Amino acid sequence: MEIAYYPGCTLHASSRLYDAQTKLVLGEMGITLNELEDWNCCGATSASKTNDFLAVAMPARNLGIVEDSGLSELVIPCSACYSRMLVAQHRLASNNTLKDEINAELSKKVKGDIRIMSILEVLVPKVESGELAEKAAKLLKGLKPACYYGCLQTRFPYNVPVPDDVENPQGMEIVLKALGAKPLDWSYKTDCCGASATVNDTDTALRLMSKIFEDAIARGANCFVTTCPMCQLNLDAYQKQMSQKYDIGRSMPVYFITELIGVAMGKSPEELQIDRHFADAIGLLKELELI
Amino acid sequence: MAGPVLEFKPEDTQAVVDEVMARSGQNITACYQCRRCAAGCPVGEETGYVTPDRLIRMILLGDREQALSNELVWKCVSCYTCGTRCPNEIQTAKITETLKYMSKEEHLDPLLPKVAAFHKSFCTAANHLGRLNEIEFMGLYEMKNTFRNLIRFKFKEIYNETMAQAKLGMMMTKKKRMHFGIEKVKHLSDLKRLLKKAKRSGPLTESDKSRST
Repeated sequence: MEIAYYPGCTLHASSRLYDAQTKLVLGEMGITLNELEDWNCCGATSASKTNDFLAVAMPARNLGIVEDSGLSELVIPCSACYSRMLVAQHRLASNNTLKDEINAELSKKVKGDIRIMSILEVLVPKVESGELAEKAAKLLKGLKPACYYGCLQTRFPYNVPVPDDVENPQGMEIVLKALGAKPLDWSYKTDCCGASATVNDTDTALRLMSKIFEDAIARGANCFVTTCPMCQLNLDAYQKQMSQKYDIGRSMPVYFITELIGVAMGKSPEELQIDRHFADAIGLLKELELI
Repeated sequence: MAGPVLEFKPEDTQAVVDEVMARSGQNITACYQCRRCAAGCPVGEETGYVTPDRLIRMILLGDREQALSNELVWKCVSCYTCGTRCPNEIQTAKITETLKYMSKEEHLDPLLPKVAAFHKSFCTAANHLGRLNEIEFMGLYEMKNTFRNLIRFKFKEIYNETMAQAKLGMMMTKKKRMHFGIEKVKHLSDLKRLLKKAKRSGPLTESDKSRST
């Protein structure tokens, strides 16, 4: 099975571990990821807050590249990139003038007919077919993750089809249950972590993160799991600062979903680059004898 | 929290309502003030009396000045909770985005200059090489902040900001999350042309609905 793959800037920079894990884990399940040739930045939320035309034009170039490659399915692990591409494809379909204006400048024209998938849309069918469980070398016993989806995995500014429940998504829970973990029900799974506010409006972001932590801890979670590199970096890198300000009193590892799948597949912490976390992520896995 | 009394200015109203509706693509006249948006807004605690429903009311009453510059426009994190829960499908995050463009076009000082500097720097850096270089982006952003503080003699803020970013940078380097390599798009010409068009294109409206809904 061959799928087009858009890593996006973050997976080639601060969240390189997510890129490595995604390739490793999906590769193990027989999926070949074909990275887009000469892809560009999707513009993230900044483009839509600066210039509306750019917010569609930047993802459009990438969509043209996928279509030109002949592949019909594209996987995007980063929630922000996923959201932007999905929205761009929708807006191109609903505005022919805009589409013509953009296509006039593109060397690889965009038609807008590919299937754009988040990493969960690739993983969940593998649970249903039993392929994921087959590849698991061990069960994630003792792991009680709070699955954190954030904003961009299920909420969109336009009417695009959402493949999961908007307010109570279950994709990560389905994957983790199949691997023997006990994901918890909790209230803040789709609440905002502050996104770029951690940098430009830190106090607001820290307050939002404190609510997420307080609820997850009150429910008895021993770690967070996420698919979004922005949420991961925020909850991880700003965790200490937030804990001190809001007196949280304990540290929580923030894993990528691919990291835990990798552990279940028996991959080593080195292969999965688990040492690249701010809040200790190795200790819990050792304590539960998972690595 | 009670806010100031909103004043209805019929002569100003139609123009601002039309402009916001056309540019954001949101039918704000459908708002019946049920306030589900306000209940779900994660930054609602920090935006004073301005909640999504009240922002809509401000526009409907033609209060252009307040609508263009208030805490919600600049604190909105684009989480899309308000729009997802709105029974009339009004996506207020598209309205706060639109009001940001409008306030920029009118050369108003952004209420939260760091937010404006952040998004501008991101777009500049992303379009420079085609892929975002995190160091270039943060460098640009901090240069803008430093310059703004410098001309206002806010030296303590420069110090605090620089120390906070240096600390984060060091921590990221230590955890191998910082990457010093430079990635560049090979065929940048498409992007450069699109960028030029974006700057020229002026207000983008959502009026060409090729779809029926």
